[in-house]
Amino acid sequence: MTSVRAASATDPATLRAAYLDRLAASDEEGAVAVAVDALDAGVDPEVVLLDVVAGAQREVGERWAAGEWTVVQEHVATHISERVVAAVARRAPAPAPSGIGRVAVACLDGEWHGLPARLLAEVLVRHGWEVEFLGASVPAAHLATHLHRAGPDLVAVSSSLPSRLPAARRMVEACRSTGTPVLAGGPAFGEDGRWARAVGADGWAPDARAAAAMLAADPDGPWPTGGGTDRSGADDRSAREEQTVLHARRIELVGVAAAAARPDAGEVPDELADDLGHLVDFLAAAVFVDDPSLFEGFVSWVGTVAIPAGLHVDEVGPALDALAAALADSPRTARLLRDARAAHPTPAA
Amino acid sequence: MDARPDAPTRDAVDTTAVGAPATSPRPTPGTTPTTAPTTAPPPPAPGPGLLDGLEEGVVVCDRDGVVRAANPAAHRLLPALRVGEVVDVARCEVLTRAVREGRHGPASVEVVVERPEGELHLRARRGPVLGPTPPPPPETGDGDTCWYLRDVTGEHQRTDTLLAAQERAAFLAEAGRALHGVLHLDRTARRVVALAVPRLAAGGTLVLRHDDTVTWATAELGAGRPRLGRTGTTALARLPRLAAALAGEGAGAGDPWLDEELRTLTGRETARAGGALRACPVPTTGVVEGLVVLTGARADAADELGAAEEELLSSYVARAGAALAAAALHEEQAHLGAVLQESLAAPRLPETPGIEWGAAYRPARETLRVGGDFYEVVGGAGPSARSAFLLGDVCGKGIEAAVLSGRVRQSWHALRLLEDQPGRLLGLLNTALLDAVATRDEHPRFATMVLGDARPLPEGGVALRLATGGHPPPLVLRAAGTVEPVPVAGMLVGGLREARFGETEVVLAPGDTCLLYSDGVVEARGSGDFFGEERLAATLPRCAGAPPAVVCEHLEQTVVSWLDGHDHDDVALLAIRAPRRGT
Repeated sequence: MTSVRAASATDPATLRAAYLDRLAASDEEGAVAVAVDALDAGVDPEVVLLDVVAGAQREVGERWAAGEWTVVQEHVATHISERVVAAVARRAPAPAPSGIGRVAVACLDGEWHGLPARLLAEVLVRHGWEVEFLGASVPAAHLATHLHRAGPDLVAVSSSLPSRLPAARRMVEACRSTGTPVLAGGPAFGEDGRWARAVGADGWAPDARAAAAMLAADPDGPWPTGGGTDRSGADDRSAREEQTVLHARRIELVGVAAAAARPDAGEVPDELADDLGHLVDFLAAAVFVDDPSLFEGFVSWVGTVAIPAGLHVDEVGPALDALAAALADSPRTARLLRDARAAHPTPAA
Repeated sequence: MDARPDAPTRDAVDTTAVGAPATSPRPTPGTTPTTAPTTAPPPPAPGPGLLDGLEEGVVVCDRDGVVRAANPAAHRLLPALRVGEVVDVARCEVLTRAVREGRHGPASVEVVVERPEGELHLRARRGPVLGPTPPPPPETGDGDTCWYLRDVTGEHQRTDTLLAAQERAAFLAEAGRALHGVLHLDRTARRVVALAVPRLAAGGTLVLRHDDTVTWATAELGAGRPRLGRTGTTALARLPRLAAALAGEGAGAGDPWLDEELRTLTGRETARAGGALRACPVPTTGVVEGLVVLTGARADAADELGAAEEELLSSYVARAGAALAAAALHEEQAHLGAVLQESLAAPRLPETPGIEWGAAYRPARETLRVGGDFYEVVGGAGPSARSAFLLGDVCGKGIEAAVLSGRVRQSWHALRLLEDQPGRLLGLLNTALLDAVATRDEHPRFATMVLGDARPLPEGGVALRLATGGHPPPLVLRAAGTVEPVPVAGMLVGGLREARFGETEVVLAPGDTCLLYSDGVVEARGSGDFFGEERLAATLPRCAGAPPAVVCEHLEQTVVSWLDGHDHDDVALLAIRAPRRGT
């Protein structure tokens, strides 16, 4: 422990390892010390925030997905990182706003990973923006109320889960109604931002640094909207309808899929229900943006996640079959399920 | 329809009409083509020729551009036209070129003829060459062309007028869309000037007086995004013209002083590149006073076009006024809401040695983020002092609930200074609420709450004293992961004077957490069932060992996921933990 303190390492990789070590020990003071010592050693606050804290949090997410950490452990780590971000802000205060503009930073409704948005807020503050951080899971109606009152120049929304894309659409519409442009960011919008346009965002940035650079270059836009063509699937009524159907039947569909995936289990364990719920949500999102790769990406990922009692890779196939049967009257959805089933490597049940 | 080969001489093509091609060949709008006559060299044509009564002009030219025949309508349209002379005598370049190109040229040209009384727009269409018999004899000459001229001046004017009107309507519709729903005064102001430039003028400035503030927004062609600034109304003393114009007293069109004053107001350095200056008061039904000043405006009301632009300008300003008034009103309301919200916002948790706190608060969606749930924590002074806490819920939703919860909180803050015994404190609160209701004929309003205090124990752990009135019992999450409800109950607060409230004491060992929650947690209803006490008790063990902030966050997240987008009541959570040993 003392070695961590003594080491005045300035290399981000070393710092990240030391920081992660403190997170693993749920050692808030130690984690704060790693960050503050790095600042004192002359490391740029942005490096501490994005390369050390955010980098370590990514690793935390991977440990959770690998079944090494529980959800609560992940929450504790995130809680510590939040405190570290606050400590960094105290130790290396941001300069006064430069007048470049005001931005509201928010997470999508249902998006609980507030830390990336918090980090973006911190980075933008350091680039001279006046930032209002609205926190995790902001309902579209609350955002609209805020926009009417505060009238920022733009809204930056962050989301990590593509299954939140329909919510992203609602949020974009809420912003549009107030005439505020929306910059989207985070993995939810696809690696190349291909779904940012599908939900109507005015711009997309891959990460906090890129967002800051983009906004510095062009505070008013127009901004790049990322890769992908304009599928405009989100404007398609039948896509929306099918997505709505999926949402409305979510509980029933989770039951159907659970019965097929694990026929001999009496009570459905929460973990399995969660995973199947995500499966349905991703399916709905894929229908919504009309992009099979969104769903297939999730299907192949969920097989690699090792949460005890969660959806097992062998159970994916039967679950997809059961969903396809239950959703035969929704043509787009059924096609997505068939394609995903065909691409899924496990033998048929 | 037959052709009527009247004058069979080929040279004097004087004649006739080809009915059949008239109806079908060319879908030129509005033509009633026909064909016809004309005369040749020495125009004999004694009586009215077949084409003399035609409104469409008909001109026959040979390959050299010499006019071989023309009917009276053609002479009317092109007064300089002379049969036997070269066509360019008519001083019509486009037509001359088309004629020379003959059949290889365009089949239809638009011609503008300058005449003393104004421009004349003609549409010239190359048509079948007239001959004595329907299939003209070969001698007609390969190079001959026949042109049908029609006066389309009026048609053009109507089209132009229509297009201009459509463009204006589209502009207004777009402006309406862009302005309505912004509901924020500054943004609306920026937008008002941004939309005006360049459609209405090369530069636009909006000046607004709202309460004791003057806000201005200005946009100029090629000057980037609109600039906005504000100053006090006292500044208007130095800007008399502007003040007068704002008050609607004589908007000075072309008043150079107004421009000068605007420059002072907006800090613009250079004089604008001239152009007419127009000032239009913004009709805002008195909510704010507004003035739009345009430079290089397109409307000067001198002619018909100017009048239409003038009307466009006033329609635009009317829309701007409605949007500004709505934004100003909304801002007032929102300000009220915001002030209330701030006074009721979830409080900061204290840092207390030996006790850890965590909380989460999620107001119901439809209540503008002020709700009836509340919690308060006041840290004690000194290492073994008691820290007081309160978590509760008033019945109802929205502003009324928020006001009542404010009353409960203030009463608690005051009364706890006089009475630190939780059960008696609750009794005092009950009386205070009943008395407050009795003085103003209100309907009785109830509240439920848990209140108490926490004292760190010297050997580690925390001693809690709790009292409850009508509230779900707190839960204790032991460090090992077991969950125990605290057996305490009581009647609603604010209902009866003789209400009884339960009271108890709980000791938290290091690592134990006590959770207070509002019924929004267990009554959260998703697509299926209520969240319920069992699910809450089942979720808690997963949080064993986590800091209280994480416990609350995790529960909030679980409950909101359970809701699955459905509406919910306020959700409030307060967790108190005895720190683990060694931390």
